Amino acid sequence: MTKLHIVHIYPNEMNTYGDRGNLLVLERRAQWQGLEPAIRYYSAGDPFPKEADLILGGGGQDSAQADIQADILRIGDKLRQLVDADVPMLMVCGTYQLFGNRFMTSLGEEIKGIGIFDVETKGDPKRLIGNVAIETEEFGTLYGFENHSGKTFLGPNQQPFGTITRGSGNNGQDKTEGARRHNAVGTYLHGPLLPNNPQFADWLIATALHRKGVSFAPKRLDEMLTAQARANAVARGY
Amino acid sequence: MRKTVGTLLGKSVAGAVKLRGRSGGQALPGLVVETLVPGYLGVMLRQLKDGVVIITGTNGKTTTTKMVVELLRGNGKRVLTNPTGSNLTRGIISSVSQQARHAGRLPFDIAVFELDEAYARQFTDVVKPRYVLGLNASRDQLDRFGEVDKVAEFVSGTMLSATQGITTNADDKRLSMAAKAAKVPVTYFGVAPSLLKYFPRDDELVAVDAPSPILEATNVPLAVELLSFKNDAARYRIGQETLDVTLQVTGQHNFQNAAAALALARLLLPDVEPAALVEQLSRVKPAFGRGQTFRLKNGSELQLNLVKNPASFRQGLASYVNPSAKVMVAINDHLADGRDMSWLWDVDFTSLRDCDVALTAGTRAIDMALRLQYDQVSVGAVEPDIDEAMTKFCVLPSDKVIFATYTPMLHLHAMLERKAGKEL
Repeated sequence: MTKLHIVHIYPNEMNTYGDRGNLLVLERRAQWQGLEPAIRYYSAGDPFPKEADLILGGGGQDSAQADIQADILRIGDKLRQLVDADVPMLMVCGTYQLFGNRFMTSLGEEIKGIGIFDVETKGDPKRLIGNVAIETEEFGTLYGFENHSGKTFLGPNQQPFGTITRGSGNNGQDKTEGARRHNAVGTYLHGPLLPNNPQFADWLIATALHRKGVSFAPKRLDEMLTAQARANAVARGY
Repeated sequence: MRKTVGTLLGKSVAGAVKLRGRSGGQALPGLVVETLVPGYLGVMLRQLKDGVVIITGTNGKTTTTKMVVELLRGNGKRVLTNPTGSNLTRGIISSVSQQARHAGRLPFDIAVFELDEAYARQFTDVVKPRYVLGLNASRDQLDRFGEVDKVAEFVSGTMLSATQGITTNADDKRLSMAAKAAKVPVTYFGVAPSLLKYFPRDDELVAVDAPSPILEATNVPLAVELLSFKNDAARYRIGQETLDVTLQVTGQHNFQNAAAALALARLLLPDVEPAALVEQLSRVKPAFGRGQTFRLKNGSELQLNLVKNPASFRQGLASYVNPSAKVMVAINDHLADGRDMSWLWDVDFTSLRDCDVALTAGTRAIDMALRLQYDQVSVGAVEPDIDEAMTKFCVLPSDKVIFATYTPMLHLHAMLERKAGKEL
């Protein structure tokens, strides 16, 4: 059976909003496709796993973000190499912010990021909270929920992940949501993101396999509940 | 003067609300009195010779408050408390005006209020509590609170407003750390180190690797310690004494809540023997929708459990799931439930694989079914309409367990009070 090595970074620190769900969806969908998912957790101070086909990171509290900052700077070069080698990654909320150039807190402190995305985040006392829908070229409409106090602004050449059709996204002003570089995606959509957007989950899996030279034609899975959940996401009034 | 005017006003608004048959009018009299008679709450509550006690925290407020109130009443205290579900200041003003005599006299010795963690500040700015019990701080309605640290800040702030004493959870590191700043004496309740795994703290709820490193034993002296439990029986150490008790309030989380109630009762009733407190505790029945059971028309039993966040859902599953019972899960996403469904992904549902999950219900019935699908738990039917779901669920043979978030729990509770054993 083909192995799919999934690395979840900082699972104990960066996991405030159901981030485990994204991992669970990838694990199950890989199994349902006849693959053998192998999950590795990476925590501060660990050697970075040698095999990493797909990397996930979640949202954390401000205090947790400060805790892992030194460590993510330490492995920044490694992560950059993997992004340049087209490894698919999904970085949500707090980890997305640390994948940017820097985070300026509302007190004016600078938290340096690893600069994979050319974005900068500013702390703001007003949190952006609510249901979100975005349009993306590659994955169509994605539904999620956002809850963040940082407002993120894209550099001139930075592609967003999608365009906001509902909710606030990066900053509540320019209709952009998230950032994309090669196959790495940063986003504020938790909810978590993948259960309601399996087409994106399957793309992460397929991209990981293609990169390894494994040909992969995904089977159609029973998506009845997902389709209903997506329809319900549209109908929810907040 | 304020006492009389505010009381009459509160009573007449409450009367008018009732007359017009409006439900959910709990807060309206409070709102009117708060606006027209500023300072009413403070003036009224200052009459109480034993002052005001506040119970707050993420989980266990209602049950623990009920336990403390019954322990006090069992020892001759006249206790003013707030009815379930009105744990905001306005609800409390409403209930104060309704329970006062017409001249504004409050015929009570002491008030014990459960307060919503985020709104407690509004209350403590007006009335300084003598004692505060801080139960725990855990991820809950993060669409309202933002972060767990914020929840802990709310609970800690309320604790530090106490003028005579604080009781808190030695095992909740955010709260026990915050209590160190207290200028009044602090007493702690806790569980024996070997039991910590049954009462995960917030960080442990989502920890992926062996949780043991975070499970350090506490190093503060405990006023009350839960030593062991089995089924409905628990053993506590209170001071030097070891005492056994069988609770009617079911659910393993309630053994911890009972430890909290006992620790607070030791402060409020210093002359009562621990053995007497424990005996009285054994007679407390489950609170509104928190493990309450109803007998249905077909002879089966149905148990209704509130679940509001990962910690409470996890405790509910650990306590009430058994292979012979049919299960229904009702999830809404109204403001009081939390609008963000992501917390469902922080709960491990694999224990339901061996059960018959007959239905998911509520505005997020589909999301719940999808969540279960990814834990490989099969679901009989998805029925967003709760009344419809209940009609289907109640006719099933064998005993039943419902897990429901706040608004469906209220709805189901009202429905069961009215119809259980008759139409259902």
